[in-house]
Amino acid sequence: MDTLQYLGQGFGVALSPNNLVTALAGTTIGTIVGLLPGLGPINGVALLIPVAFALGLPPETALILLASVYLGCEYGGRISSILLNIPGEASAVMTTLDGYPLARQGKGGIALSISAWSSFIGGMIATLGVVLFAPMLARWAVSFGPAEYFMLMVFAIVCLAVMAGDKPVKTAVAVAIGLLLSCVGIDANSGVYRFTFGSLGLADGIQFVVLVLGLFSISEILMLLERTHKGQAAVKASGRMLFNFQEGASVIATNLRSGVMGFVFGILPGAGATLASAMSYMSEKRIAGPSGKFGEGDLRGLAAPETANSASACGSMVPMLTLGIPGSGTTAVMLGALTLYNITPGPLLFQNQPDIVWGLIASLFVANVILIIMNIPMINLFTRILSVPNWTLVPAIAIITSIGVYAVHATTFDLFLMIAIGIFGYIMHKLGFPLSALLLGFILGGMMESNLRRALSISDGSLAILFNSPITLGLWALVIVMFALPFWRGYRARRARLAAAVEANA
Amino acid sequence: MYQRLFAASLLLACLCLGFVAWGYQAPYSYEPVGPRAYPLMLLILLGAGALLLVFKPMLEADADGEPHLSRQMVRKVVICLALLLALASLFEALGFIPSAILFALGMARLFGGRWLPSLVLAVILGFGMYLLFDKILDVPLPQGVLAPLEIF
Repeated sequence: MDTLQYLGQGFGVALSPNNLVTALAGTTIGTIVGLLPGLGPINGVALLIPVAFALGLPPETALILLASVYLGCEYGGRISSILLNIPGEASAVMTTLDGYPLARQGKGGIALSISAWSSFIGGMIATLGVVLFAPMLARWAVSFGPAEYFMLMVFAIVCLAVMAGDKPVKTAVAVAIGLLLSCVGIDANSGVYRFTFGSLGLADGIQFVVLVLGLFSISEILMLLERTHKGQAAVKASGRMLFNFQEGASVIATNLRSGVMGFVFGILPGAGATLASAMSYMSEKRIAGPSGKFGEGDLRGLAAPETANSASACGSMVPMLTLGIPGSGTTAVMLGALTLYNITPGPLLFQNQPDIVWGLIASLFVANVILIIMNIPMINLFTRILSVPNWTLVPAIAIITSIGVYAVHATTFDLFLMIAIGIFGYIMHKLGFPLSALLLGFILGGMMESNLRRALSISDGSLAILFNSPITLGLWALVIVMFALPFWRGYRARRARLAAAVEANA
Repeated sequence: MYQRLFAASLLLACLCLGFVAWGYQAPYSYEPVGPRAYPLMLLILLGAGALLLVFKPMLEADADGEPHLSRQMVRKVVICLALLLALASLFEALGFIPSAILFALGMARLFGGRWLPSLVLAVILGFGMYLLFDKILDVPLPQGVLAPLEIF
């Protein structure tokens, strides 16, 4: 019952005129950023942090802005996937498989409207999930001590590396670099300067905004250089703009299944939306069997990844709000934004700052409703934005980035540091290291170290504290299972190959 | 090839940083774990990962997918970086508006804009962003050479 009361309070926050306008602005910006090829939610959210800060927005409004940008990006990403066959980000790749063929068949309008509808259902299912599960998890997590937190973060990192699928080592290396970068600066416990090499600019550490904008704005600009030539022409969305009842009914089961799946994957730290959309596409394909036309324009193949995408975006709010551990790169950025406001996310947030938490949850509902209302009639306007050329866009992005970084300390040192991080990020991206893993490591790094040291202070240096409670032992077990997973998968693959070879010989 | 090179330089960096980190001792210690243990632990982990990438790059699925950068692309990346560095160095010396106009002009040209539209865009961005951030959003930006004019 408490939950309903708090939710009501949250709607009071989210529906206040200021926050409603913020959500409207955020969803619009998010949709536009999401539909620009090459730009995804991390870029959008990262660019807006300095702006939100400069506007002097109160923390709950700033969070609502960032969350609505995040959701907007997930809605917007599908437009370029369907009409251009260019996914705006990794999680939209699956949408192109059936979305683009549909557009080619002249069903662009139907594809766009049904994918918007799917995103809406996914977002709603997951937001309901957040309402149900987040307070429960938070109540449970209050009893976590530093040792439990440390183990939880270890689990999150192992999860991230294993879930990343085909490149666990690169992911682990990226996380380790992120963790290491968080050590730079003065050590709060002892006053020792670490890895500053005498530089005053590094004395209080690498600023979060500098790192995020370096990794996701500067290196993205360098990536965009490869697309200076004229892009493909978008397929014109023609014909019926709205799906009919029969088409809607044919995907509803897919929507429900993928929504739940997306939510679950969103909660798990790791690949988040990318994995969720891929898994839901695969499982729908399997369920449909030979009757499906997957890959040639099946509506279910479009609905599944779109539902899962936005469901996992909402689901990833759960670990961020309840544990202070981000489930995705974008929530990591939001977490960083919270710490800029001196708010430490974690289970106590639910007790101490109910306005922020419930305002954010309620605003997820609001943003979803705004997005579905906005997306169906205004689709033509959005598709026109696809033709904005890069030569106008990139200078603007670069200048906003520089202003955002300069605003932190008003020193040009940060600008140079950002460029250096950008170059490093570009090289890593080129070599296939996931940048969002690095960011996640950077966010978790400080918390991980302070929790470890606090735990060991409690136990007077004995490592036994990491094995003492049922929760830490359970987390150890999960870590071991996660480690075993790739080996087990490899074993199964080898068995299957062997069996196939035997059959071929027979 | 590039990947091995990168991993090897990571390894080297780990060793150097480990050397540096070895000296991190707290003058007064209030807790069992000092400032040295955690970074050293991370360096060992990172080093192990880098070592794995040097000797067994085939563990990763995209090991054979080496990035291909044409000579033209490298030139573009270098120009882009030069522009960014120029912006950073001129930001305070010239002031925001002139440096942003020069930077935006260069970037727009680099991304394939024609001269006149690029110039128009650059001027709009330079003045527009200044008004937006300095005047409306209260982010103080350096006025630089335009300061004596006192037009803003």
